Amino acid sequence: MNNVCLKSIDKDNPSSLATYETMGGYKVWHKILHGELSPEKILEELKISGLRGRGGAGFPTGLKWSFMPRNQEGQKYVVCNSDEGEPGTCHDRDILRFNPHSVIEGMAIAGYVMNATVGYNYIRGEFMEPYYRFEEALKEAYDAGLLGTNIKGSKVCFDLYSHLGAGAYICGEETALLESLEGKKGLPRFKPPYPANVGLYGKPTTINNTESFASVPEILSRGGQWFADLGVVNSGGTKCFSVTGNVKNPANFEIPMGTPFSDLLELAGGLREGRTLKGVIPGGSSTPVIPAAEAMKMTMDYDSIEKAGSMLGAGSVIVMDDTTCMVKALTRLAHFYYDESCGQCTPCREGTGWMYRVLKRIMDGQGKSEDLKLLLSVQDKIIGNTICALGDAAAMPVESFITHFREEFEYYIKHGKSMVENDG
Amino acid sequence: MVDIEIEIDGKVVHGYSGETVISIADREGIDIPRFCYHKKLSVAANCRMCLVDIEGNPNPQPACSTQSSFGMKVHTKNEKAKTAQKAVMEFLLINHPLDCPICDQGGECELQDVAMEFGSDISRFTEGKRIVDDKEIGALIQTDMTRCIHCTRCVRFGAEVAGIVEMGATGRSEDLKIEPFLSEGIQSELSGNMIDVCPVGALTSKPFRYGVRSWQMNSIQTIARHDLVGSNIFTQTHESKVKRVVARDNENINETWISDRDRFSYQGLNSDNRILIPKIKIKGEWQDTSWDDALDFAANGIKKHAKEGSQIGTLASKNATLEELYLLQKFTRGLGSDNLDYRLDAANPSNAKVLESNISLTELETIDHALIVNSYLRLEQPMINHRIRKATLNGASVSTINAKAFDFNYRISHSVLTSPQNTVATLSGVLKALLDKNSQTLPDYLNSVSVHQTHIDIANALLNAEHPVVVLGEHVNGNKCSDQVATLVSEIAKASEAKTLNASLTGNAHSAERVNFKPENGKNALQILSSDFTAFVLFDVYPTFDCIDSENAIEHLSHDDAFVVAMNSFDDESVLNCANVILPIASFYETSGTHINVDNIAQSYSASVKSAGESKPGWKVIKVLADLLNLQGFDFTDSSQIADKALSLTPNTSEIEVPISNSKMPNITTVWQYTPYASDVVVRHASSLQQTRIGQISEASVCKATAKLLELSEGDLYKGVPVNINESVAEGCVFVHTHLPRQC
Ligand SMILES: Cc1cc2nc3c(=O)[nH]c(=O)nc-3n(C[C@H](O)[C@H](O)[C@H](O)COP(=O)(O)O)c2cc1C
Ligand code: SF4
Ligand code: SF4
Ligand code: FES
Repeated sequence: MNNVCLKSIDKDNPSSLATYETMGGYKVWHKILHGELSPEKILEELKISGLRGRGGAGFPTGLKWSFMPRNQEGQKYVVCNSDEGEPGTCHDRDILRFNPHSVIEGMAIAGYVMNATVGYNYIRGEFMEPYYRFEEALKEAYDAGLLGTNIKGSKVCFDLYSHLGAGAYICGEETALLESLEGKKGLPRFKPPYPANVGLYGKPTTINNTESFASVPEILSRGGQWFADLGVVNSGGTKCFSVTGNVKNPANFEIPMGTPFSDLLELAGGLREGRTLKGVIPGGSSTPVIPAAEAMKMTMDYDSIEKAGSMLGAGSVIVMDDTTCMVKALTRLAHFYYDESCGQCTPCREGTGWMYRVLKRIMDGQGKSEDLKLLLSVQDKIIGNTICALGDAAAMPVESFITHFREEFEYYIKHGKSMVENDG
Repeated sequence: MVDIEIEIDGKVVHGYSGETVISIADREGIDIPRFCYHKKLSVAANCRMCLVDIEGNPNPQPACSTQSSFGMKVHTKNEKAKTAQKAVMEFLLINHPLDCPICDQGGECELQDVAMEFGSDISRFTEGKRIVDDKEIGALIQTDMTRCIHCTRCVRFGAEVAGIVEMGATGRSEDLKIEPFLSEGIQSELSGNMIDVCPVGALTSKPFRYGVRSWQMNSIQTIARHDLVGSNIFTQTHESKVKRVVARDNENINETWISDRDRFSYQGLNSDNRILIPKIKIKGEWQDTSWDDALDFAANGIKKHAKEGSQIGTLASKNATLEELYLLQKFTRGLGSDNLDYRLDAANPSNAKVLESNISLTELETIDHALIVNSYLRLEQPMINHRIRKATLNGASVSTINAKAFDFNYRISHSVLTSPQNTVATLSGVLKALLDKNSQTLPDYLNSVSVHQTHIDIANALLNAEHPVVVLGEHVNGNKCSDQVATLVSEIAKASEAKTLNASLTGNAHSAERVNFKPENGKNALQILSSDFTAFVLFDVYPTFDCIDSENAIEHLSHDDAFVVAMNSFDDESVLNCANVILPIASFYETSGTHINVDNIAQSYSASVKSAGESKPGWKVIKVLADLLNLQGFDFTDSSQIADKALSLTPNTSEIEVPISNSKMPNITTVWQYTPYASDVVVRHASSLQQTRIGQISEASVCKATAKLLELSEGDLYKGVPVNINESVAEGCVFVHTHLPRQC
């Protein structure tokens, strides 16, 4: 456990350059600076490693990097998405706190591969401590001559800056993030064009999640195959899972892909005494909920979770036991999306508020028998019709909660109260 | 542009690569519902109304942001597309107040139209609807923000076209609000276009508010007459009154926009100050009379007072129609006089060659450098300024030679502040720099001219540009050396291979030039108004506002032996004082006519409404008067015959040599500029425009040094206008920007 991104977590002074270097940090970067590692070779290794974007969509990182028009003239950018706003997620925060140099090295490598000389790390507004840790690490890296122009006489240039967000979930969406970074309101852009062609300030840009970048140095240092072998087919390597909810020991766990969910639950201390598992949201609030039986059968990798009816997403596992009222849980989630929608496009702006209000009404004992049909219909009208994936994210939980826990909703509507005794 | 072929609803259609699906569909007449898309604005793709099914895509795609690619198959009306469109419609309506019966947009609302097709009769939304506070954004635009569908067309219009970041979307989620950032409201000479772009009744015309229902009005195609563009508009009328003016598309002229002046000036027509009945002055007393009596009175007066034709002076408004100007010059010349002019505000109405305009409005967008001389173009000629702004968005740079640093809606790269008396020297400096660069021999008059760095910068900017233009604006009219200024501009253009645009010929001045409404050998406006002529004919002239040195003008018009025939559309104190007979004439939109614009395009229009009271179209009045005076060649039965005749004329081109000299001008001069809403009599009576911040401008700007010489302090009145001491004005002059009558 914890042998890629979180491997310094138990060390003294985990975030320092010295610690990072004793663990082999910046070895790859030095190789690059010595001209011993070509961009093509790096892309090759990344492809072999099977690393998929850890920000939620799971897009193969090597492939994404290869989309950048690296030989096109003009400025290009590398951007790290450390906005980590998905309810249930907190592993990027720990990577920034304990292993910031892996992010710096990963971004520098990305810059080299894609011929981008400037990088930005966009850090969630509430992450003050991680921000300072990252800033400190950045200073260390500059002081050690690892960043800047013509680094160590290699002609390689890479400048890296961090930027603190202002507390909007939507700024985690990559194009909203770019807008925000440009100093504008965080409104997602319509795509195409994709950031690889028109990104930050209109220039080719690649955006990756913190964990994606942090995984890169280790992959290149130990080989793509080594990383791939840690995981399973289609889900190479390890992944940080944040386990929260009704477990005894909520925490982050970096484990190999393909680990059974039950083992992960065990790592998190299991359920509290006398409780039974009701459902699991495996990848953060935007991913569909999975009922207990299915969850206990799944393994923690892209394919298995998808087979169970959900998505690995950002690896944010929310465990719900039998004391959880699913109506209340969904209402809370619906409120989150209602509150966080940027309001730009019609289905999401109007639909999230509508769904929340209907749920709220049910919670207030004013539910109507046609409400479930209405909710399902409204979420269906949002899905696939919006500018960004927040619309889908708001819609999917509604569908899965109602489908899997319908009787709880019907009960609430009929009796005006929760089916779960002692709820709350 | 590569031609590509795609299929929409089974029909094979063509577009160029990169063209959006909606643009191709629009050209092909395939209807795709939309709200946020506007052909002249950037794509926002936020309303999602235009979702269509594109084969190969799991999700429906917005037609407005999807670029077509070869072989693409689009379905705009299949099950998938319709389902998505209906979904969006339902979302749009849940929080819309549906107060159509009391909404001014009712009947012409894009939401209403689309809802008829895609909406459902019964709402499934039973939660409370959102209510949004309205914001006061000025005298022209009424807001009802609860109706807003957040399409951001108005925001994009502001940022992209008007060049003002004054409207924006604040908040998020359902709290997303479209509102002005500043409490002063919207300040733009183009603001009214926001009303046109708003698809719903969130932004409507304030002056029109609750006037009539849209479907009760007739829409009549016509032309706006205030500036030299001749924007295409619809007058919307009800019971023979113009109730509203909206833009009419004409890509070559105004695209799809119009200035606020063109949009809201119609209010002036309905002012109480119109002259409705002919009047004659008997023994110093005005009395109303019949048309016959008034015309007889006028004809007899002219016969009696002007025994010789040369004793007559005729002055006309630059906003008169081509037909009126043609007949009036024929009338005057028929009476044996060559004393006629329309250049009432000219300090130097010389016979020198008029600077030509040789660049079209559309071409203006393609320039890469503009040198603006003597003009606050943005307020003077909003549509021309808009074209230049478009060019700047594509990278063009702009430099200015002006008496004041004006608030342009684009960046100015080089600017020389120059008083009127120094304008010749400054332009000479630029010309000298240009000729030096070209290694051309200098004409004598440039020998002693000193060249400053900014002159060189401007010269370089012109020379480095592939398609430069030099624009000459209105301020030149007040310059005693205007002919030298125009000559130098023309020389500068020649030396830099630049095009020229003469924006000093505003209103319908091109028509006046076409029919030679100025003397060849006779007296010009300045001379007429200083003469002791015994008869004057004034055509829609309001001396206090229109004439340079108005006090002197009124004095000469009022002398005891003078007989003054005024054909006017509005009442006016000074006219009442000096005239002997007032013949009420039709105003804008009340008469047929022709406007010739800066591109030399003659646009004819018919009357939208009948003229106020007993007033008659000017051309008819002149014709009858001519008949009464037995003048020949006035047998026209409708105005189009006059227009044909007028358009067959060619302006006299003079080849007078204009010597460039260091002519003596006073040490301190005044530049007098009206606000755009005081530029002619109609707009001066448009009450809503007068209430806007632009309409209320009244400021005599002067720099500290000059203020000291003039012993002026902040807040004093200079020629009736409050003094504002600031350093954005050239030394040696006072820049008066006001709506008050001119006092110089
Ligand atoms: C509403 C929304 C919020 C998101 N928030 C985050 C986030 O906080 N962190 C993140 O890495 N990706 C987030 N994403 C995903 C990013 O858009 C993007 O896919 C990701 O940063 C790409 O990096 P990767 O390829 O390394 O996964 C979010 C997406 C959406 C639609
Ligand atoms: S889906 Fe929601 S969050 Fe995304 S752009 Fe549309 S309104 Fe904004
Ligand atoms: S006010 Fe009108 S134009 Fe502006 S966003 Fe709202 S609906 Fe669109
Ligand atoms: S018109 Fe295409 S999304 Fe609005």
